[in-house]
Amino acid sequence: MAEVEETLKRIQGQKGVQGIIIVNSEGIPVKTTLDNSSTVQYAGLIHQLVMKARSTVRDIDPQNDLTFLRVRSKKNEIMIAPDKDYFLIVIQNPSD
Amino acid sequence: MSTSSEDKTKKRTLVLRHSSRAVNVCVSDRHGGYQSSRLTGSRKSLSLGGGSKVLDKSHVQTPRPAVRVFDKDDNDVTPQPLHQADPGTAQAKGSRFFLNEISGGSGSDQTTATGSFTMPFSKSVFESSRISSQSTIESVNEETEDTFSKSDQPISIPDVKLKKSTVKEPVTEDVLKEIIDIFLTETDTISLLDIPSTFVSVDSDEADTVIERNNQYAELCRNTMGNDDKYVNRSVQTLDGAAKHKHVQSDNLVMVDAGLTVTTWDMYNTLCDPEQEKTVRSPQPDKTDLPEAVVDSSRTAERSVSVGSTVSSVKDVDTSTNTANTDSELQLIVQSERFQHSLLVMERSILLNIFQPQLAAYRQLPVLEDPDSPVKPETVEQREEDTGSSQSLSPSLQSLWVFSCRLSRGRSVSSMAWNEKNPDLLAVGYGQFNSGDQEPGLVCCWSIKNPTWPERFIRCDSAVTCLDFSVNSPGQLAVGMHDGTIAIYNVHSRDKSRVISSHECPKKHLGPVCQLRWTLQELSLSGEDKAEALFSVGADGRICKWFVSSSGLDCTDLMMLKKVTTMKRPGGNKTNQTKENILSVLTPGLCFDFHPADPGICLAGTWEGLIHKCSCSNTQEFLETYQKHFSPVNCITWSPLSPDVFLSCSSDWTIQLWKQNHQKPVLGFTSTQGAVYDVRWSPKWATVFGAVNEQQLEIWDLKTSIRRIVLWSETPADK
Repeated sequence: MAEVEETLKRIQGQKGVQGIIIVNSEGIPVKTTLDNSSTVQYAGLIHQLVMKARSTVRDIDPQNDLTFLRVRSKKNEIMIAPDKDYFLIVIQNPSD
Repeated sequence: MSTSSEDKTKKRTLVLRHSSRAVNVCVSDRHGGYQSSRLTGSRKSLSLGGGSKVLDKSHVQTPRPAVRVFDKDDNDVTPQPLHQADPGTAQAKGSRFFLNEISGGSGSDQTTATGSFTMPFSKSVFESSRISSQSTIESVNEETEDTFSKSDQPISIPDVKLKKSTVKEPVTEDVLKEIIDIFLTETDTISLLDIPSTFVSVDSDEADTVIERNNQYAELCRNTMGNDDKYVNRSVQTLDGAAKHKHVQSDNLVMVDAGLTVTTWDMYNTLCDPEQEKTVRSPQPDKTDLPEAVVDSSRTAERSVSVGSTVSSVKDVDTSTNTANTDSELQLIVQSERFQHSLLVMERSILLNIFQPQLAAYRQLPVLEDPDSPVKPETVEQREEDTGSSQSLSPSLQSLWVFSCRLSRGRSVSSMAWNEKNPDLLAVGYGQFNSGDQEPGLVCCWSIKNPTWPERFIRCDSAVTCLDFSVNSPGQLAVGMHDGTIAIYNVHSRDKSRVISSHECPKKHLGPVCQLRWTLQELSLSGEDKAEALFSVGADGRICKWFVSSSGLDCTDLMMLKKVTTMKRPGGNKTNQTKENILSVLTPGLCFDFHPADPGICLAGTWEGLIHKCSCSNTQEFLETYQKHFSPVNCITWSPLSPDVFLSCSSDWTIQLWKQNHQKPVLGFTSTQGAVYDVRWSPKWATVFGAVNEQQLEIWDLKTSIRRIVLWSETPADK
């Protein structure tokens, strides 16, 4: 348990990391390092995106499943580790 | 009705109707079979109404002759009247007769017409009935007779209003308190409506007679066409029943629209693990929105509908959620295995982003240019004796990154070992070089994918002096420590409890363990079986072979490194000089290496600068001794690519290249004025090796130059 906390702290301290959000299965953020409005926005939008991505992957081959999703944009990169019970979202700006 | 008994025996084919206009033998009612006798009965009553009205006005009290009805079998089937009028009751008045307005068109015409008509009609009916009763065709005349027989006793249903007046007893208390027995009995079955069918099955017994009668009737109808004397056409009007409105209330049906999209994976999920899904759904908090109800009804819709519901719930996220709920959820999530794995992957991805140029260079992959920002190559240290990474202009050593974290800060690296199986894994032992101020040692297993935090770290009791990964079981890491203890750790799991230690072994090393090596040893003489054994050389001058016993590690001495004080230097002969010593003191062995092809031969370097070649089978004496160095030999390494060639480096600032069986080194290298601590051959190039001395990391290439080093880099820290 403490290890997990420490890992989260380390991730937060890595270069360029802007925020970490943990979202539960219903799309409600349970832990975040960003402000409330951004968190809610990210959680809602990313939830839909992940559902769509997962649906796409599984439609092609139902035995396959989505394990990791990275969205690279001009300003930053959003990395999402999806799972049945949660989403782990990290926003990083690697060129910082 | 009283006619029910006779209905079963009689069969009627026609019903005659009183009509206002013409008289037709109504054939429209016939359905190719039989009439419902009950209906005819009812029609009788209607016709009775019409007739009785007429009759009333014209013949009120005319007594009628008693009519008796006979069927074809001459049974007396005279219908009994519906009502036996009490003699005490008043005679019915004409106005009380139930009037059937429906039967009439213009009233007066009807009365006159029918009135004048009924008389002769009745008479003719009577006559014809007597005549026709002898005929085989049973006609409706009998019915009309019934009708008129009833009319003899005018039935006035409204007259039955007169009731006997009952004497009312005064209701007293006693009467109320009386216990009155109430008997409940089942009444006889009252049949309220019985409409037998007018159809007869072709297979039944009566079918033949019925068909015959039908044919006869059809023939009769044909015959009546021209026979106007006997048969007259009449028209009949059907009477509609009075309609009554009835209101009924029912509960409103709740309708729910549910739409869903079924996808390929949805069907696959339902097929594969429906029970698993059910249990997964159960810990979810209850929701009252409608899609949930649909979920309960159909399982195929479950997944997609719940997806829809979660989307909708996200859209209207209630900010006043129960915080206790989310906290416990957070704990649940965070403690799960999968989350930790996700964290791991995430961290590595982040670091990949950060360190992408360096990692790409390390793996010799193309460096991905960040399209939106200039790439700034980081120049951090890399501790690796690789064949030199490339830069654009001239070959030089570029440091890629530093493995450092707060755990390892301030510690000196004493040894390193790569894992064979997982080439990304590097074990680093931290310890002090000085004998004094020992601090607890630390072993970190670093992964290339994460230069900021080790994958595993193990705290040891004393400073770590050497490490080695096992080849056979790559999860085992042998650690030699300053106090002479050797411990074997399992780095597979995060659980650090499993460790085998030689702490309690009586024969353990008394001084610091200087080097460890796992080597494959031949078990049998044939040389086929190879078992791995751990060898160590310690500062107490022993080379030991370790094996796992019940109480930890145990060892057998392989060789004693005896001190050789007086050395004669014969030309090229091998002499055993150890036996000349009186005091055979053991000299610390600093390093050793096994021959790559023949694991029975090993080279050991000593504190005194001598290199001994030993054999595992011969524990008493050395096979050969090489002498060149006059300072402690720090490292010996066989060349992996050319046989019988080995390098040795020592604190006398030199590196010597030896060939086996040659007393003198073939080549010697000196670059700077500093003790050379470590030397390694390149695994790929036979002529390249790297060395580390006090000041720098050097790469030597024998092909290019013997005298000068090819590449070097500055090392900022000591060691």
